[in-house]
Amino acid sequence: MSQKTPAVVVDQVSKWYDQVIGLNDVSLAIDGGVTGVLGPNGAGKSTLFKLLMGRLKPSQGSVKLFGEDPWVNPSPYRRIGYVCETERMYDWMTALDFVSTLARLHGMTREEATARAEHVLDFVGLSDVQNKEIGKYSKGMRQRVKIAHALVHDPDLIILDEPLHGCDPIARTSIMSVIRELGTQGKTVLVSSHILEEIERITEQIVILNEGRLLALGNLHAIRGLLDKHPHRILLTCEDPRKLARRFIVENPVYGVRFPNEGQLEIQTNDLSAAHSILPRVITDSGVLVESIDNPDDNLEALLGYLIGGSS
Amino acid sequence: MDEKGRSLAQSVWTRMDRKAGAITELTIRQLRHRVSTWVVLSVGALVMALLLAFYIDNIRDEFEPIDNDGDSEDQDNDGYPRGQEEKFGTSDWDGEEYPGSGYYIGIGEIDWNDDSRIHSGNHTWEGSGYLDAEWIDVDYSGNRWSGIVDWGDVDSCDDGEPLEDWWMGWGSACIYEDNSYFVNGRFKASGSVNVPEMQYMEWGYFTLEEFVEPDPASMYIDEDGIDWDGIDVNEIGIEVDDDGDCLAIQNDDNRNGIPCDVIWILDADGDEIIEIRADYNVNEDPAESEFEGEMSHRTFIIGTGKMAFVLMLGIFIPLFLALGLIRDETENGTLHYLLSKPIHRAEFILYRLLGYLLLTGTYILVLVLIMAFITSLIAPGDGLVRLSDYPVWLGVGLATILVLAAYGALYNTIGLIAPKYGVYFCIILGIWEFIMGMFTMTLPSSTVPMLSVSHWALQLIDAVVLIAWPDTLQYALISDVFGMDSGLHFFWAPPEHTLETQSPVVALLVSCTVLVMITLLMIAIGQSSFKNREIM
Repeated sequence: MSQKTPAVVVDQVSKWYDQVIGLNDVSLAIDGGVTGVLGPNGAGKSTLFKLLMGRLKPSQGSVKLFGEDPWVNPSPYRRIGYVCETERMYDWMTALDFVSTLARLHGMTREEATARAEHVLDFVGLSDVQNKEIGKYSKGMRQRVKIAHALVHDPDLIILDEPLHGCDPIARTSIMSVIRELGTQGKTVLVSSHILEEIERITEQIVILNEGRLLALGNLHAIRGLLDKHPHRILLTCEDPRKLARRFIVENPVYGVRFPNEGQLEIQTNDLSAAHSILPRVITDSGVLVESIDNPDDNLEALLGYLIGGSS
Repeated sequence: MDEKGRSLAQSVWTRMDRKAGAITELTIRQLRHRVSTWVVLSVGALVMALLLAFYIDNIRDEFEPIDNDGDSEDQDNDGYPRGQEEKFGTSDWDGEEYPGSGYYIGIGEIDWNDDSRIHSGNHTWEGSGYLDAEWIDVDYSGNRWSGIVDWGDVDSCDDGEPLEDWWMGWGSACIYEDNSYFVNGRFKASGSVNVPEMQYMEWGYFTLEEFVEPDPASMYIDEDGIDWDGIDVNEIGIEVDDDGDCLAIQNDDNRNGIPCDVIWILDADGDEIIEIRADYNVNEDPAESEFEGEMSHRTFIIGTGKMAFVLMLGIFIPLFLALGLIRDETENGTLHYLLSKPIHRAEFILYRLLGYLLLTGTYILVLVLIMAFITSLIAPGDGLVRLSDYPVWLGVGLATILVLAAYGALYNTIGLIAPKYGVYFCIILGIWEFIMGMFTMTLPSSTVPMLSVSHWALQLIDAVVLIAWPDTLQYALISDVFGMDSGLHFFWAPPEHTLETQSPVVALLVSCTVLVMITLLMIAIGQSSFKNREIM
């Protein structure tokens, strides 16, 4: 009320497992909105989340959720929803059973729990199948049940560990919209992924982890802007790459073209956003039918490569 | 306080009832969805069904009269049971002696070193010597004697001294040229007998035979029962040797000057028998329907309670149902769902165990009541339903449930501390517990078994038995003194841990307290281990 503590404060936290370092001197403070935690597999995303959820004890530093140490005191969990990485669930339960049973661990009565469970299952779009056994669910549906269980008590902070992992495109889209919706409701949301594009579609606020270190923290566009000033490729799949190439080569942001495969044109640029801004005009003027536009360098690996290269 | 008015300082141990309800319910449902649960519980039910079949079979057998002293048997196959032979003073080991058989009365003998070696007369003879006969009963076949001389097959004697220079068999004779004989065996004749030195001859006569009707063997079964009805010790009268086999020899083993009686020694209050001193052969064959039936019934309940419920179900159910209560959740990763809720890990262990205990406890209770109902219907006694059995069965249920709690907490803790090898620890522990249980029954006062859970559960049953059936003590003594072998001695002894009060209620409370303490200690160890566990 009077004093607003950030939802998540991670202060110089390191975590090592015997000789292996899971997290190395990471400091973070997050409050409000959706934050994407980005990093390749093994970067320390799950370690960070498990530290937040009190599963692990920091080897150094301190973790605070709403001002409480989750390793000592699980009370912050009444305000937190956690979607874990685990894929195993109680397959013999129905989704409604699963969510309402877990809701009762928040001290709800059976009736309250059932009502809330129905509400959140509707929110994640599973109300029509809520009485089916989870064992019969698809990957995406299971993922949404997990999200529903994390939302059942209307938490202020939601932590999702790889919620899009293994989902089909439709489930992916619906999960993303759920997460965005949570952000607009004013919740603090932490969502991890190893795919840049996924995070990009959800949020602009990101944390990048690599090999246990915090590489970047801030607005994705700002980070990406830095990246834009670096050599970049745009791959076009089209009918007549040579005709299109002639049009592009005269444009200012473009410094080179290549034909990697038949029916493909690669544009090389130093200013990705400028190149993207001229792209529609050039294509329309040329009259060439373009099937797809890809940014092969616009992925996490490229971003990391740049960030690591830039920092060293 | 946050904007929703919820205080974070509030303990997570709030609304315990709802959380406990959710976790216990989840645990029960989880266990119900596992095949192993049903297998274990069905095996338990099957064992009980088998025991019941045994019981039904046995109770029928036990009600058939049993010859406790063995005097209905006819060891020597002469057609007379031992009891009848004892009355007539004949031996049941010698087929020639039987009631009414003539018996031999000796008159005189020539020993191997007597001076005078010739005797004349009309006798029945037995021995070796030269016979100069006036008359021989060549048809004499003896009174079931062996070694009767066969007079139809007599050879000529060889030269030299018979039995010295040459051998002849027992029950044979040879003839000399002067028509005298040398006889070796038994025979009936009138004449003079010359017994060579180093030989022996006895003479006498057989009494007349008379026919005695053999008694049926059944006459000697249950012929000497306990004259007290086993209910009110104040009604114990003077025990009588009903079949007279003690009076015949005027036995006074208890040395009170009265032959063939029983001394019942009561405690200070005069309501409990603490010792029985009986003269030998008094009450040695009581009727089964009165004592042994009741005793077998009690032995069955106590034995089933101790062996099948406490030692078998008590050890095996937790092994299959409690070992993985937390461990399996950790291994499956489903623990993450539960622990992301505002619930303390210690709280979680408690509710998990509660769920396990609710399921297994209900099972035990149902099983115990079914057993109680069926056995009380079949059991001996006048009433249709023996109400006094129910407290004992419920005591068995209580003991088993406390054992399930203690082992459940113990195994769960082991599963937490040693997830990989826990099952081996538990098996070793189970064997230890079983052995200690056996020791508790055979040597109730030894101290080592006190280091086991089963010891306290078995003691609990002993205490409950004494509370519900105070006269079990008497039955144990009676079975001991009057030779009724029911197994009660193996399965039951008065409880040990009465804190010197001799009160079974105290023993019951002590046992319960110890079992609950063990459970709480194991839960606490599990909780502290789990609290500091990092979960991947």
